[in-house]
Amino acid sequence: MISVNPEVSSVSANQVTDPSQLTAEQTALEMKNLNLFYGNKQALFDINMKIPKGKVTAFIGPSGCGKSTLLRCINRMNDLVDICRVDGSIELEGKNIFDKDVDVASLRQNVGMVFQRPNPFPKSIYENVVYGLRIQGINDKRYLDEVVEKSLRKAALWDEVKDRLNDSAFGLSGGQQQRLVIARAIAIEPKVLLLDEPTSALDPISTLTIEELINELKETYTVVIVTHNMQQAARVSNYAAFMFMGELIEYSDTNQLFTAPSTKKTEDYITGRYG
Amino acid sequence: MELHLNKHISGQFNEELEQVLSHVLDMGGLVEEQLRLSMEALNGFDRDLADTVIANDYKVNQYEMNIDLECTRIIAKRQPAAIDLRLVLAIAKIIADLERIGDESCRIVKAARDKFAGDQTQFLVDLEHMGKQVLAMLNQVLDAFARMDADAAYEVYKLDKQVDKIYEAVTRQLMTYMMEDPRSIPKVIEVLWATRSLERIGDRCQNICEHVIYLIKGKDIRHTSREEIEKTLATKK
Repeated sequence: MISVNPEVSSVSANQVTDPSQLTAEQTALEMKNLNLFYGNKQALFDINMKIPKGKVTAFIGPSGCGKSTLLRCINRMNDLVDICRVDGSIELEGKNIFDKDVDVASLRQNVGMVFQRPNPFPKSIYENVVYGLRIQGINDKRYLDEVVEKSLRKAALWDEVKDRLNDSAFGLSGGQQQRLVIARAIAIEPKVLLLDEPTSALDPISTLTIEELINELKETYTVVIVTHNMQQAARVSNYAAFMFMGELIEYSDTNQLFTAPSTKKTEDYITGRYG
Repeated sequence: MELHLNKHISGQFNEELEQVLSHVLDMGGLVEEQLRLSMEALNGFDRDLADTVIANDYKVNQYEMNIDLECTRIIAKRQPAAIDLRLVLAIAKIIADLERIGDESCRIVKAARDKFAGDQTQFLVDLEHMGKQVLAMLNQVLDAFARMDADAAYEVYKLDKQVDKIYEAVTRQLMTYMMEDPRSIPKVIEVLWATRSLERIGDRCQNICEHVIYLIKGKDIRHTSREEIEKTLATKK
């Protein structure tokens, strides 16, 4: 067998193909034996996975497969559902987020979330971005100005809104609103950013802008994205997890998953076949 | 893993894939026929048949261009993934190899267009045997592709070694003829070219085997050892 020149074989260099092989330093989140029930109905079955740090991980699967439920577990959004019960653990940098001593508010500072429909507050663009900081009691004008510019720049929105920061956020287009919401999420410098179908309400051009943004965000944050759009998962993610009926069927390097998946269920889903 | 090409939710996609597949098999049949005729022309010094083979090469080229276009459209419109993506990629490579086999067949018949003197026909004796081997390889690899059978493809893959052996033996034999009678050199060289073409066709068939195994197993086995290939074939997928 000929040895391949390292420059030639650098296609997916520096990336562990099998995410279960990630070391502790490379792991941002680790789910261990995670089961979730809505009343008597079990929605997640024994999920074990490591989410890599500084990468984009996508959850894909048909409606009702549990991917949004799993995403919502990561910042304990499911706490808001009365009949929801979770066992197992999710470790954020080694600490179980379900431990009794974990303060949910501070957890959510570390784990930001963006939803399907842009949900800016009925305030100015500026106030939307600094909202999280104001809640923390930070009111230093100069510091807030700095954060606004930095966050909006990171969210690739600064150039479009810098002259109208005090206008209402509702005057922005859908794509701009979504980027504003992302700016709001990163203003408090979370470690992990959860994106739940962030582009499903946007047009193709805004979608591409957001995807480009996601690619830049992973330099600083760990990004987890749920998407119905398989091509989007293929385009933006480094790792992809396919879920079906509450189970994690396959989780691997995105390049691997989309060219040669190892299970038939994954293959059928990503190629648009019925099982 | 079983292959169900026709199980897409999109019936149109099913049709497109089935159509491109059947075009590849038609093209394979045509190339096989071209090779068979070129061997026949060579053995019988049949000038007319040789001309027919050369005249028909445009059909092979046409198939290649049409199938390429179909593949381009499928990629543009369907964004195929996994097995579908591998199928389209494998097809694009297989037809390139088939087209080259068509070209090599045209080279072989060039030797048939010259009359050989009575005692010179002996140069061609071993070639017939080699031609049969190569033709069998092409036939079997197309069959393996049609049935999506990676193991069958590997059986064909291994046959190339035999073809290479025959090639070496024939080359040695032809060199002897040249040494015995230098006046025969121009004719022997023609036969040598034909032998070379057959050997190349064997290699092309082996390439097609590699594409078929990639298509089914999802692993690129080019430039890997036999043990590696056998390990890939043993995986369940």
